[in-house]
Amino acid sequence: MKLAYYPGCVSKSTGKEMDASTRAVCGALGIELEELDDWNCCGATHVSNELVAAGLAARNMAQTDLPIMTACSICYSNLRAAAQRLEEHETLEKVNAVLDKKYSGARIRHALDVILEALAENDERIVVPLKELKVAPYYGCLLTRPAGLYSPEFPIILEKLIKRLQAEPVDFRLMTICCGGPIFMPQEKAAEDIAFKILSEAKRAGAEVIVTVCPLCHLMLDAKQQVLEQKHGVRIGIPVLYVTQLAGIALGLGPEELGLDMNSVSPMVVVERMYARLSE
Amino acid sequence: MPIGVYVCHCGLNIAGVLNMEELKSFAEKLPDVAVARDLQFSCSDIGQEQIQKDIAELKLDRVVVAACSPRLHEPTFRRAISKAGLNPYMLEMANIREQCSWVHMEQPAMATEKAKDLIAMAVAKAALLKPLEPESIPVSKNVLVVGGGVAGIAAALDLADSGLHVFLVERRPTIGGYMALLTDVFPTNDCSICVLGPKMSEVYNHPDITLITYAEVLGVEGSVGNFTVSGVRRARYVDEKLCKGCINECAGVCPVEVPSEYDFGIGKRKAIYIPYPQAVPLVACVDPKACIGCARCVEACPAQAVKLDQEPQDFKLNVGAIIVATGWQPFDATRKEEYGFGRYRDVITTLQMERMLNASGPTKGDVVQPSTGKIAERVAFLQCVGSRDSTVGNLYCSRICCMASLKNAQLVKEKYPHTDITIYYIDIRACGEGYEEFYVRAQKLGINFVRSRVSCIDEVEGELFLIFEDTQTGEMKKVKHDLAVLSVGLEPDEKADVLGNLLGLSRRPDGFFEIAHPKMRPVEAHIDGVFIAGCASGPKEIPISIAQGSAAASKAVKLLHKGVLELEPTSAYVDPEKCIKCKLCVDLCPKKAIAVKSPAYVDEAACKGCGSCAAACPADAINMRFFSDEQIIAQVQAATEEKREFPLIVAFLCNWCSYGAADLAGTSRIQYPTNARNIRVMCSARVDPSFVLEALRRGADGVLIAGCRIGECHYRDGNYQALQRVNVLKGVLEKIGLDPGRVKIVWCAASEGEIFAKDIRDFIGELKAMGPIGTELKKGLSEVKNEETALP
Ligand SMILES: Cc1cc2nc3c(=O)[nH]c(=O)nc-3n(C[C@H](O)[C@H](O)[C@H](O)COP(=O)(O)OP(=O)(O)OC[C@H]3O[C@@H](n4cnc5c(N)ncnc54)[C@H](O)[C@@H]3O)c2cc1C
Ligand code: SF4
Ligand code: SF4
Repeated sequence: MKLAYYPGCVSKSTGKEMDASTRAVCGALGIELEELDDWNCCGATHVSNELVAAGLAARNMAQTDLPIMTACSICYSNLRAAAQRLEEHETLEKVNAVLDKKYSGARIRHALDVILEALAENDERIVVPLKELKVAPYYGCLLTRPAGLYSPEFPIILEKLIKRLQAEPVDFRLMTICCGGPIFMPQEKAAEDIAFKILSEAKRAGAEVIVTVCPLCHLMLDAKQQVLEQKHGVRIGIPVLYVTQLAGIALGLGPEELGLDMNSVSPMVVVERMYARLSE
Repeated sequence: MPIGVYVCHCGLNIAGVLNMEELKSFAEKLPDVAVARDLQFSCSDIGQEQIQKDIAELKLDRVVVAACSPRLHEPTFRRAISKAGLNPYMLEMANIREQCSWVHMEQPAMATEKAKDLIAMAVAKAALLKPLEPESIPVSKNVLVVGGGVAGIAAALDLADSGLHVFLVERRPTIGGYMALLTDVFPTNDCSICVLGPKMSEVYNHPDITLITYAEVLGVEGSVGNFTVSGVRRARYVDEKLCKGCINECAGVCPVEVPSEYDFGIGKRKAIYIPYPQAVPLVACVDPKACIGCARCVEACPAQAVKLDQEPQDFKLNVGAIIVATGWQPFDATRKEEYGFGRYRDVITTLQMERMLNASGPTKGDVVQPSTGKIAERVAFLQCVGSRDSTVGNLYCSRICCMASLKNAQLVKEKYPHTDITIYYIDIRACGEGYEEFYVRAQKLGINFVRSRVSCIDEVEGELFLIFEDTQTGEMKKVKHDLAVLSVGLEPDEKADVLGNLLGLSRRPDGFFEIAHPKMRPVEAHIDGVFIAGCASGPKEIPISIAQGSAAASKAVKLLHKGVLELEPTSAYVDPEKCIKCKLCVDLCPKKAIAVKSPAYVDEAACKGCGSCAAACPADAINMRFFSDEQIIAQVQAATEEKREFPLIVAFLCNWCSYGAADLAGTSRIQYPTNARNIRVMCSARVDPSFVLEALRRGADGVLIAGCRIGECHYRDGNYQALQRVNVLKGVLEKIGLDPGRVKIVWCAASEGEIFAKDIRDFIGELKAMGPIGTELKKGLSEVKNEETALP
């Protein structure tokens, strides 16, 4: 299978491990990725101006005829929202008037759904089955917005993927609430409270890792974890993995390929346990 | 063909600006004119008598009156000439007052020149007039009412009491609609079935109502006055005539129990059932999806009424009019996943609450928590569930749910004074008669109101929590309740499309059926002889649904009571020789009046004469009896015969809006330049591209087409069609080297005289910048020449 790949700006900064693991996993699964030519912002920087946001997204989407895959839920949401807006003739005309390559429709996919589709039940490429690993599926808010493939409250696709990797999804109540990231600038305390609530709930639910599909969620739960532990005087210590990293571990890809060293809360103890069990 | 031309002074209204002598002698010299006179007041008795005298003495066979707007006095002069023995349609008016003397008061000389053109145009058209005979057709005095909710019931009873015969077709086994399932009804809180039940029986017993329940309409043919309706009556598996309605005998032995749709899932019924004790007709019905065919009911029935081998029956009806009263359906609350309806047992809808409060409902009037069966103590109502919510695609307010929750809250509070009740709302909309008082009453009863749109409901260990922001304090809160009631909105019936397509009804963006005019024609459909009442055209409460049912009935009575229908002879007709059977016209016709058999055929009773089909027909096979192609072309040619000013504009104005706006500019004495020569058409969609090309070919500098504002077309979407044609035309002009700006389309309502005047002024400015017609061709040529000379 061949897909166009839209890395998104985070892949060049705080989400390098998301980008690395996405490329590595797709490579392992035989999915050919063709990085979009000369891509720009997905529109996230201009969400308050729908027309500009749609224009930015359209410029990306017009670069290819292939279905476009992204691993970032923010990009995923913005590209889809733009595609919906561009169904309106007036918006389409305004946008196309300023584009060199004209936009005429696109199909947007999330890496999550691409990986799940590529993996069969008991796929033999899963060389490190994640048996008995308790994983909290954390969706955040943007994967399911605007309404599309998944139910906003019960998307279940992440649970499916976790099971396919032979790990165990835990019953995680807060799986679809916002991570707090979008309000971090104006309301730092409120944002941190939300993130802490999610982490505490994951711990209560018995999760050994949290899996995310969005770099902002990842930032809030992983990079902020230590600060939050200190602030509340509680130890959490749950590694937070991108879904591509989790899949990569099961596919037997090495820690460097998956950028595991870039995670703030190191997942290496968990990874080593999985390998240790393998030789048992 | 001797034509008489009468130029009216209208006192000084016309004569104060225009030169009457000049106009009269101009008219005398026009072809076929036998006599031209100027009259002081042509509409007065003296004026009319002069015209009649000339008809008799000079054997005039057609008349032109150059005076005020035809929208004012056309009927007067038609009557006058028909008294003198002429066909009333042998009259043409030139509008030299509203569209000339009153709007060009400062330019009497130019205005007189314009009036000459207007008179010449009228004379040219008059020469081509043909006598038209209004046809009368006999009509059926039967009316079909589809849907037996409260709106349909009101319509059926009024019609039958007025002496028409009614066929009431209801999809369910009983009539009554949703009202029959409600407990007490606002704003007076009287028992719903107590006021509706007697009406339902009256329908059943009325000698002039044929009640057809458990049935569906499957086909509609014909048009106003004579519709043929076919349908099917589904099998009840119970003989309606034999069943005594005792129900306990058969249902008592039936082994199958399923959730009852009449209790919205909280109660149960058997596979053989009567929807509710007051159902009409009171006849059992077997649900084929649930029935296992054990035939115990067949044996148990003392009247031997159960017939498990019953077949569906077709029916065919002839009716003169159709009233659509198909109502609404509740919003499916499972679509708001965050509220957990369908997952959390103690989250219910207002309709389930209505059934619980109903003394003959599934809980016999107790308001309980479904999970425990205990009386609920902390009840929450959540407003706007499925309404005012773009995430589910419903932008509209459902209008009754605030009142329904206020009502249910009051009823709960009255029954259990200690219950803690909170209504979570965005705004409380209580704006009918007595409604605000009803709201105040709820407040006085101690019901709490929190301004908030609840973000989600969470169930933790069997307890319900509402999570929300109280927007009056700005606080985020989490509050425990033991029963959450979702105030679901009203949506269009999901199967409304089926009937809508049969009848050719349009749907609004919100999905409800569109009425002919959002203010002026509240119960009429776009299709003649079809009326819409109750929630079929949008959410509304019982009193308004009843009022609409009665209004629709009175419209149908007005239409049919004489037994004959007089048709305006202004319809389209097809030249069968020319028709190529492309069917383009079929979809364009807003009245569904054209069918293409072999060849196309216009139902003249349904046709309202907009003329869109005539403009669109690629083979020119359709023409209009009135406003014919030849007449309009003759007007265009007369307007361009002598080019009296620059820029010269030929303007096509639709009868309903823009022509009205031009008249209003006159009555308001709004002044604008004289350049436009107006041609009245019924609809902007009548303008055939060939009219425009002819005008430009003959030297007009620009052509203006003015229609009703978008969305306000008096037919349906004629102005959209006109717009499309203009866009195509612009392309054509560009190809032949003319500036596409020479054809322009504008919209103005009949109330927008000022806008019309501005449109004319703007267009004149644009045309001045372009220069006289053909300037661009010359420029183009010289450019080509320059290029040529530049070549080595
Ligand atoms: C919770 C709740 C409480 C309410 N309480 C009040 C109140 O207290 N006071 C008040 O004034 N209003 C109240 N209303 C509003 C009230 O229910 C409506 O005003 C009323 O039902 C409108 O009647 P109707 O005849 O237009 O439609 P309906 O009641 O929907 O009747 C339509 C009928 O047409 C039938 N039908 C549909 N399609 C077809 C078809 N294709 N062929 C044949 N038959 C068809 C249906 O089976 C039905 O019988 C309440 C509404 C809700 C949701
Ligand atoms: S035949 Fe059907 S309706 Fe009659 S008793 Fe049996 S299951 Fe019930
Ligand atoms: S009536 Fe009230 S509850 Fe219903 S949609 Fe309107 S505002 Fe919302």
